Amino acid sequence: MNMAATTEVRERVKLVGLGVPRLDADEKVRGKAEYADDLNIPGAWHGFVVRSPIPHGRIISLTLDPGYDWTKVVVVTPEDIPGNNIVDMMGRDMPFIAHDEIRYLGEPIALVAAPTRKLARESAAHIHADIEELPPLLSLGELVDQYKKDRSSLHELSAQTIRKGDIDRALREADIVIEGEYRAGHQEQLYIEPQGMAAIPGEDGSIFIHGSMQCPYYINPELCETLDLPAEKIRVKQSAVGGAFGGKEEFPTLLAGYCALLAIKCKRPVKIIFDRHQDILYSTKRHPVWTRYRTGLKKDGTINGMKVDFLLDGGAYTTLSPVVMYRGILHSAMGYRCDNVFVDGHVYRTNTFPNGAFRGFGAPQAIWGLESHIDDLAKACGMAPHEFRLKNALKEGDTTPTGGVLRYSVGSQDVLAKTIEKSRFGEKLQNGSRGNPHEKKWYGIGMSFFAHGAGFTGDGEARIKAKVALDLEQNEEGRPVVNVRVSSTEMGQGTFTILPQIVADALSIDLDYVRCPYPDTLYVPDSGPTVASRTAMVVGNTVHGAAKKMKVQLEEYVSNEIMNAGDVYLADGQFRGPYETGRISFHEAGMRYLENNGPMRVYNQFSLPDYIHWNQKTFEGDAYPAYSWGCNVAEVEIDPLTLELNVLKVTATYDIGKVLNPVLAMGQIQGGLVQALGYAVMEKIEIVDGKFDASRMQTYVIPTTLDIPEFDLDFVEFPYEFANPGAKGVGEIPMDGLAPAIANAVEQAAGVRLRELPMIPENLFAALHETETYKI
Amino acid sequence: MNPVSTLKTFEDIDCEFPKSLQSALELMADEKTRGQPLAGGTDLMVQWESGVIPIPDRAISVKNIPELREIRENGSNVIIGGSVTHMELRQSPIVRRWLPSLAEAAATIGGFQIQIMGTIAGNVANASPAADLAPSLLITDGTVLLASVEGEREVKLTELWTGYRKIDRRPEELIVSFNLPKLLDDYFESWRKLGPRKAQAISKVMGSSRGRISNGVVESFKVALGSVAPTAIRFFELEQWITGKPYSKETLQEAEQRSAALINPISDIRSTAEYRKWVSGKLVRCFLENLAGRSNK
Ligand SMILES: Cc1cc2nc3c(=O)[nH]c(=O)nc-3n(C[C@H](O)[C@H](O)[C@H](O)COP(=O)(O)OP(=O)(O)OC[C@H]3O[C@@H](n4cnc5c(N)ncnc54)[C@H](O)[C@@H]3O)c2cc1C
Repeated sequence: MNMAATTEVRERVKLVGLGVPRLDADEKVRGKAEYADDLNIPGAWHGFVVRSPIPHGRIISLTLDPGYDWTKVVVVTPEDIPGNNIVDMMGRDMPFIAHDEIRYLGEPIALVAAPTRKLARESAAHIHADIEELPPLLSLGELVDQYKKDRSSLHELSAQTIRKGDIDRALREADIVIEGEYRAGHQEQLYIEPQGMAAIPGEDGSIFIHGSMQCPYYINPELCETLDLPAEKIRVKQSAVGGAFGGKEEFPTLLAGYCALLAIKCKRPVKIIFDRHQDILYSTKRHPVWTRYRTGLKKDGTINGMKVDFLLDGGAYTTLSPVVMYRGILHSAMGYRCDNVFVDGHVYRTNTFPNGAFRGFGAPQAIWGLESHIDDLAKACGMAPHEFRLKNALKEGDTTPTGGVLRYSVGSQDVLAKTIEKSRFGEKLQNGSRGNPHEKKWYGIGMSFFAHGAGFTGDGEARIKAKVALDLEQNEEGRPVVNVRVSSTEMGQGTFTILPQIVADALSIDLDYVRCPYPDTLYVPDSGPTVASRTAMVVGNTVHGAAKKMKVQLEEYVSNEIMNAGDVYLADGQFRGPYETGRISFHEAGMRYLENNGPMRVYNQFSLPDYIHWNQKTFEGDAYPAYSWGCNVAEVEIDPLTLELNVLKVTATYDIGKVLNPVLAMGQIQGGLVQALGYAVMEKIEIVDGKFDASRMQTYVIPTTLDIPEFDLDFVEFPYEFANPGAKGVGEIPMDGLAPAIANAVEQAAGVRLRELPMIPENLFAALHETETYKI
Repeated sequence: MNPVSTLKTFEDIDCEFPKSLQSALELMADEKTRGQPLAGGTDLMVQWESGVIPIPDRAISVKNIPELREIRENGSNVIIGGSVTHMELRQSPIVRRWLPSLAEAAATIGGFQIQIMGTIAGNVANASPAADLAPSLLITDGTVLLASVEGEREVKLTELWTGYRKIDRRPEELIVSFNLPKLLDDYFESWRKLGPRKAQAISKVMGSSRGRISNGVVESFKVALGSVAPTAIRFFELEQWITGKPYSKETLQEAEQRSAALINPISDIRSTAEYRKWVSGKLVRCFLENLAGRSNK
């Protein structure tokens, strides 16, 4: 027995809380990471989607040009689909390939595959659809007009209400009633790596899906019915992903389906890699939103009641829109004490590409309106924006609009106080130019305050019950390693670093003993999708529990098989017995275990605390297990000559629970704020003739490094007590509050409120020219 | 629906790399050997890829023809070869001294990569109303030299652009150089570009001016704006009206209004007609204010 009694045992530094470098940095920096288009798939053909050239119509016939040589390519039409022609998402209204009604421009009408991309595209041009055109509904504007006039003419994809208290009475008894409407258009995710997927058919009729995705376990169940295969026959593996931001949440199912249908028919692997133009034209975007508020106030600034209409443009099919709307309505009156809240949420169909997941998932759309409106409320009762928020902000023990109680881990007051103080908000508020014609530059400062529900909305976590496994195995070099088996994905946000940090700490071992291999449904249990800022909190907690289990099993093993002693415990990477008999390292004990027993696997499953209750029908109870909190202050400068808007500085504080890795968390905040800046002041994409207009990077304008303001960013830590190590979620909250903070600053600077995103000079020009004081 | 233009690829292009202007012109002379002039390719490659213009069978690279690469002074003029890059323009002491708004405009084009590849002739011949060099060229009252095997032809820059994406160039001709009058003493230039972001931006409106205010009187004022009409344009009517006027609040106000009234811009993906019209007046005002600020009154 080789007891390492002589080696000096150093005290181990905890990794959780340290800014350890990303474990995937090396392969990415060296260009070794294999993205979807890098995968070497021998014999793969290229797939191409033949798409409808019009946004609404009925297919009369589909013709393959008889003069074209079809022997070199494979064509898939609805008749070739083995199972039902249905994409089995939240609604069952979307076909894989349109066979009757066309509901958006770009909807697939056939698929082709060929040995080269060129040939695939060429043959696609020889497929013609005869389509009877129907009048399309194309914009949020039309939708809102119709909603106000007669909503029965609209096709509702989903609806949900929140009812708390008595809104009519609250408004009746209010001293002041303030109304406001707010809108925002589409936003494109613009991840670096465009969508890409491959399907490889197996001898046994199975299919292997490999490519760029966020949620491997979405794909199997969603394809079963279409491919007429049991879930076990569909294996899904994630390749390296170059950014996703929600854009690779539900959309990859479609791409996987197209590849699989083609692969089954031509009996060989098929891949589809989008170029940027296709990606912008034919993948999901953030839902356009319209909100309307009617809020009753007491003179002293108490909020009596809040009535909200929240409307999303769902695009042509249901996809995930209901949940996006749920998160939207849950955030549309969140953050402030109010006993009477009525929210009506709707998703309506338009003849545009189905809208989908995008960082924030409805919350940024809601908070954009809410936080703009809050400034109007403050003004109406003669209070400064920060005073109004300090007075009304929720704190520990308060209830949310759905009646959930904020039990613990509530950093709301701290993020507010800290941001207000650091930015010297009260003092700088006095400097607002308010459109003064004698000032060379208009200055303004504005703020926003918000919560972001951590984890799945409503009963999501209770239904999913995240499952994880840890495998103690030998790696290629023969060393013992702990492989974290989760379906959670790395897409640049740092999951494959923080999960190993958690596991390494729970086992008290070095980080190089822990790895997250790319998820492959053949090996990983379903820990749920990588969405909703849930992974650090939910999956982090579940792997933490799994690691604790593994620790106990290893301790028992060492106690029984190596030390023959009673209580053995693992600390600082060493197993120690009750007596000073010696120590054995994790490395050695692990090797011994593997030699004698083979690999060890432990499972764990997430469960919510008992006191969490939620009614999915009435939307009452704890909508989320916990909330992250944030406060943003934006300072802006406007050139009165040209109305160009310059965001000078953003001061922000966030409570994301325990900060697992401060470097990665700060990266999320900074990157998210830049994405939010784009949403706020420049990203604009509209439907022209049924088609997205800004369909290239030339025209879809996102911020460059020169556009990034000065940042002053901080965390305050209110760890989520229920879920060790206490994270609450950082992924989405940076997207939530910047647009309204800027709009509020613009109001201080120019003296007008902008009610539509993005806040480009053209919109400010239009708003100013509606005012009395400002003329050409 | 499905772009047929993508069926041909860049590799299918037959590209010649002539070593002298003479051999380039000889290739251009014969329809069989003629090809699309290709300089930095920063406009062409984007347009080929997106199917805006078809991928040609043949291209003639002009980027490294020595006669097209020079920047030199010639008395009261500066000669700039067609294949001079934006990076060279912004760094050249001659251009910075004598044609400051051209140097400034070049410095706002794309990013470094584009500035290193993109050329002045490419920017001009692409004939986009949003070509950032156009206003700075227009205000010099200079000329462009075109050549073919038959001989040379000098065209006034103010007459070069004949319509949206059109220039007065015959198929066998190449742009050789630009002949640009220097900025005189006591004259000043301004340049301003409004784009959707601070870098890598195609202009919503941009423009340049050259002029002189002396003893409180506008002695000379030339101004050109881009992205407000099918081609970049000089504001001749305004220039005539303002020459000899006292520099005053009233003049500024009227200049702003007259400028806006001179144009009839369109709404497109980058901006709205209303904003463009209004802000054009503001830019002209800004140029006059700059001029007044720098002139010794
Ligand atoms: C990312 C990006 C950013 C950009 N940003 C800007 C910007 O901010 N502002 C701006 O103005 N432009 C911008 N452009 C457009 C482009 O870079 C410029 O217009 C550039 O000057 C074009 O020059 P080139 O040498 O690349 O032209 P090419 O693409 O090689 O040619 C353009 C045209 O000129 C013709 N041509 C070239 N040389 C000659 C010659 N000697 N004789 C006759 N015809 C000739 C070609 O046949 C073609 O029709 C950008 C482009 C990209 C890709």
